[in-house]
Amino acid sequence: MSLEPSIFFDEVNERQGVFHRRTFILGGFAGLGVLALGGRLVDLQVAEGARYQGLSNSNQFNFRLRPPPRGRILDRNGIEIASNRPNFRVLFRKNESKDMDDVAETLDKVATLIPITDQKKASLLKEIANTPKSTPVAIANDLGWDEFTRLNVRAPELTGVAADMSDARVYPFGGAFAHVIGYVSKVSAEDVDKEKGPDGKPDRLLLDPGFRIGKQGVEKSLDHQLRGVPGGQKVEVDSVGRVIREDPAGDIHAIPGKDVVLSLDADIQNRALEVFGQDSGAAVMMDVRTGEVLCMLSAPSFDANHFVSGIPGPEYRALADYDHKPLLDKALSGTYPPGSTFKTMVALAALEHGYDPKTTHTCNGVFPFGNHVFHCDKHHGTLDLHGAIVTSCDVYFYNAALFCGPDRIAEVARRFGLGQIFDIGIPGQHKGVVPDTAWKAKQFAKKGKDVQRWYPGETPSMGIGQGYTNVNPLQSCTMVARLANGKKAIVPRLIRSIGGVAQPSGASVPDLVADPAHIEFVRKAMADVVVSGTAASTAKLGLDPIVMAGKTGTAQAHTYGGGHGAHGAVGAWELRDHAWFVAFAPADDPRYAISVIVEHGGFGGDAAAPKAREIMRVALLKDPEVRARIEHPLPAPQIDPNAPIDGVAPPPPSDLPGVPQQGPSGPELQTPTPTEPPA
Amino acid sequence: MTASALTRPGQRERLSEKITEIDWRLALVLTAIAGLGAMILYSAAGNHWGPWADKHLIRYGLCLIVMLGLSLIGLRYWFTAAYPVYALALILLLAVPVIGHSALGAKRWIGTNSFQIQPSEIMKVGLVLALARFYHGMTSREAAMSWKLLIPAALIGAPVLLVAHQPDLGTAILLAATGFSIMVLGGLSWRLMTAGAILGGATVVPFLLFVLKGYQRDRLLTFLHPEQDPSGLGYHITQSKIALGSGGLLGKGFGLGSQSQLNFLPEKQTDFIFATFGEEFGLVGCVGLLALYAIAVAIALRIASISHSHFGRLSAAGVTVTFALYVLVNAAMVMGLAPVVGVPMPLMSYGGTVMVTVMISFGLVEAVRVHRYEEMPSGRGSLL
Repeated sequence: MSLEPSIFFDEVNERQGVFHRRTFILGGFAGLGVLALGGRLVDLQVAEGARYQGLSNSNQFNFRLRPPPRGRILDRNGIEIASNRPNFRVLFRKNESKDMDDVAETLDKVATLIPITDQKKASLLKEIANTPKSTPVAIANDLGWDEFTRLNVRAPELTGVAADMSDARVYPFGGAFAHVIGYVSKVSAEDVDKEKGPDGKPDRLLLDPGFRIGKQGVEKSLDHQLRGVPGGQKVEVDSVGRVIREDPAGDIHAIPGKDVVLSLDADIQNRALEVFGQDSGAAVMMDVRTGEVLCMLSAPSFDANHFVSGIPGPEYRALADYDHKPLLDKALSGTYPPGSTFKTMVALAALEHGYDPKTTHTCNGVFPFGNHVFHCDKHHGTLDLHGAIVTSCDVYFYNAALFCGPDRIAEVARRFGLGQIFDIGIPGQHKGVVPDTAWKAKQFAKKGKDVQRWYPGETPSMGIGQGYTNVNPLQSCTMVARLANGKKAIVPRLIRSIGGVAQPSGASVPDLVADPAHIEFVRKAMADVVVSGTAASTAKLGLDPIVMAGKTGTAQAHTYGGGHGAHGAVGAWELRDHAWFVAFAPADDPRYAISVIVEHGGFGGDAAAPKAREIMRVALLKDPEVRARIEHPLPAPQIDPNAPIDGVAPPPPSDLPGVPQQGPSGPELQTPTPTEPPA
Repeated sequence: MTASALTRPGQRERLSEKITEIDWRLALVLTAIAGLGAMILYSAAGNHWGPWADKHLIRYGLCLIVMLGLSLIGLRYWFTAAYPVYALALILLLAVPVIGHSALGAKRWIGTNSFQIQPSEIMKVGLVLALARFYHGMTSREAAMSWKLLIPAALIGAPVLLVAHQPDLGTAILLAATGFSIMVLGGLSWRLMTAGAILGGATVVPFLLFVLKGYQRDRLLTFLHPEQDPSGLGYHITQSKIALGSGGLLGKGFGLGSQSQLNFLPEKQTDFIFATFGEEFGLVGCVGLLALYAIAVAIALRIASISHSHFGRLSAAGVTVTFALYVLVNAAMVMGLAPVVGVPMPLMSYGGTVMVTVMISFGLVEAVRVHRYEEMPSGRGSLL
C-alpha cells in the first residue's frame, strides 16, 4: 500500500480546524446537558427532597388497619349477650402490579391447602377485582387450627396471602335477644356511601373484611359507640405488599368499642323464649319502680349468629316467608287491638268522670245499639264495675264506654302510655292507635265529612279494646306498670350504661295523674281476675303468699263472618284471636309488670296467662326481697304466739277459693265489631 | 519509500512503547465508574454479590482486557476493517427480522441460546468506523456540501430505519444522533446543518403520529405526565423520581435505599440504576458520578483532537458521542426529563452487551491515542 500525503496541507489544516472547533462546541453542548441534569437533580433532591422523602416513606411504610374489638352487650347482671370470638381467617391483599390471572393462580394454590369451591373462587375473584388495592379481602373465615397453621406456614410463598386472627361477633344466646340487640352483618355499598368522609373517601374501617355493621336493634342504634376507633400496625412493605419488617413502636393502638349494659335479665329473657316454644307473640316485662325493661321477647326468634357471616339466601327466604314472622320485632313493631286489657283504661276513665262503680248492668249476651247488635260471649247476669272487670263482661263495658265517650277514654289511655313512642334507645316502635274524635277527623281528613265523624256506634267497640284501637306490647306493659306503680308515669328504659356511663334513669319521670283510689279499685279488680276471674286457673304463681294481679284479653284478629268466629284455639291459625295477658306482681306490693301477647293464641286466659305466669315466676324468684317473703312469709304479727315453732303459713285470705275454678274461665269475648267505621 | 522513512516523530512501533502510550487515566475513570456500578448492584441485590455485582465485575474485567488489547491494534487495521464491519452489521440487521428472537415484543437478537448477539450493538461501532473511513477521504469542501454527502446519509439512514423497525427506538435515536454528529464534526456546512435539523424536526410529528407503535408513543408521552398513569409506564418514572428525590443531598446511605431494596423501583439494576444510585448517595453522589462520566468524555474528546489522522479523530469522537448520549439520555430519562426509551447507563447498568460495545469503543479511542501519529492511506477515490 502506498503511503503518500493524500491531501494538501491546507486542506488537512482546514479539516482539522473545523473538527477542533466543532468538537469544542459539541463538548460545550454536552457540558450544558450535564449542567441541566445537575439542575434537575438539585430540583429533585434538594428543593423537592422532603416531598419525595414523604412519598418514599409512604411507599415503604404502611399502616395496616387494626380493627378495634367491638364493644360487648351485657345484661343487667353482666352476662354477655353479644361478644366476640376469635376467627382464624385468610386474607388476600391485591398489589399494584398484579393482574387478575396471577390472583387466580394464587387462589388455586390456596385451594390446595384449604377447601375453596369453584363458585366461591369466582365470587372471590370478582370481589378482589372490585376492592381497592390497600384493602384486603377475606378468602376464608373460621378455619380450623390445622388449616390455619397449614396456611400460615405456606403464606410467605403465596403473594398477597396472609393468615391472621380477627374478632367475629357472637351471640351466645342465639335467638333469645335477636330482636332487642339485633345483629351485625356485612357492610353494604350503601353503608359505605353513607359514611364517606368529608374528602369523599370511604371509611377504611368499613372496608375491612372482618368489620360488621349493626343492622338492627342495639347493634344498630349504638353502632358507633360499639365500634370503637381503629388502630394501625406500622409495617414496612415491599412493592408487592409483602411485610418486610414490623415496627411495633410506630403502632397506633385501637380503642375498643364501648360495652353496653342493658336492663334486660338473661334468665327472664331465656325463660320467655322457652315458654313461647313454637308460638308467635311477644312478652315485655318491666320493673314498675324504675321502668327498666327486664324482658323483651318476640317469638319465634331467629339465630342472629347466622347473619354475622352472611345468611344464605334460602335460609333468609324461609325466615322472611314464615307466617309466624320471626324477623319482625313484635314487642315494638307489632300492634294489636288490646282487647279486654283495655277495659282497665275504660274503667279508670269512667271513674274519673263520676261513674259510680256500684252501677249495675245486666248482661244477657247481646247489646242492641242503633241498628246493630253487639254481643258478649256469655250471659254474665247483673254485674257492677268490679265484677265486670273480673269476668270481663263486654256488655257492661259497652255501657261504660258510652258513659265516657271516646275522648275521655283515649285521654286516660294515652296518660297510661298507650299510643306513645318511648325513647328506649332502639328503633322500630310502632305507635299504634288510640282513637278519639279528633284522631278520626284527622285520619280521614281526605274523605268526606260523614266519614270523619265519630259515630256513637264506634264507641262500644272501643270500650272493649277493639275497633281502631291498636297498641304494641311495650305500650301495654307500660300501661300495666303505671297502674302497678300508681304514683309515677314511669317510662320504659332499656340501656343502662354505655361504656360505663349510666344513661338517664327513669327516676325523674313525672307523677302519674290519677286518683289513687281509682287505681286501687282497678288493681283490686285485677287481683280478683287471677283469683276468681278470667285467669283464675291459669295465673297462679304457686309462690304463696305472692300472687299476681292481671287482666286477660282476647282480641279479635279479623272480622268474624255473621257474628260467629274462631273463638279460642280452633279453626285456621291466622283467623284465631290474639291472646293477651297483662299483669303485675306481687299484687300487694307491685314490683314487676308484664305484658304477653300470643298471636292467634285464642283465649287470653288460656294462651297468654300461663306464659306470663312462668316468666313472672323467674323474676320473682330472682328478687331477693320477694324470695325472702316466700321463704319467710310475712306478716309476722299474724302468727299466733302459741303456734308450733316450725311455723305455718298464715291462713289464706278468706275470700280465696280453696280450689281453682274448673276449666278455663276466661270467656270475655267480644261480639263481632266492624273494623271499618259504619258507613 | 519505506515505511520507516515516513515514520513521524513519536510514532510507536514496539509493544512496550505502545503500552506506555495508553491513556491510563481514562482506563482508571472507566474502572471507577464500573466499580461504582458493582457497588450499587451489590446494594440493589440486598447486599449480596449475586446475582448482579459479581458478574458485573467479571464482565468488566474481561472487557477491560479486550479494550486494552484493542488499543494496541494499529489504526490502519481499524481503517481496513471499517467497511467490512459495517457491512456485516448491516447484513445481521437485515437478518434479524427473519431469524431473530423476539423479547418483549421486539426482535433484536440473533444467535443460539448460548451465544446471542445484538446486531444493533455492532452497528454502533460499525457506523462510526464506516463514517470516519468515508470522511477520511473527503475534502472539507465536499464534507461541507456536496452530492457525496448522500453516501454518509445513506450509511446512517439504513441502519437507523432497520433498528427503528425492530423496534428499538432508543438505539435508533442514538445511531442517528451519532451519525449526524460525525457529519457535523466532519465539516457539514451550517446551512445543511440547519436544514437537517429542520428536516429532522419536521419528521418528528408524522413520526409520532404514524410510524410509532402504540406503546412507543405512550412511552414517549408518558414522561410528561407520569401521574396520569400511576400503575403503567408512569409508574417507572414516578418511582424513579421518588427514589432520586428521597435521596436528598447526601442520600439514604449505602444499602439503605428503600425504593430499590423493596422493589418499588422497577428495572433498578438496569435502566434505572442511576435512580438506585441517587437514592443511596444523594445529590453529592449523583454529581460526582456525572463528573466521572464528563471526565471520561473530555479525555476521549481530547484524544480525538490530538489524532493526526482524520479517521482517528472522527472515529474516536464518534464513539465518544455515542457514550455521552447514553449517559445524557439515560440520566434525563431517570429524572423524568426524557421519554423512557430503554437506554442503559453505560458501565453502571447490569447487562453484558452494552458493556462490550462501550469497552470496544474505548478500545478504539485508546487505539487512536496510541497510534495518533500513524499515517493512513488516503482513502480517496474508492468507497472500499
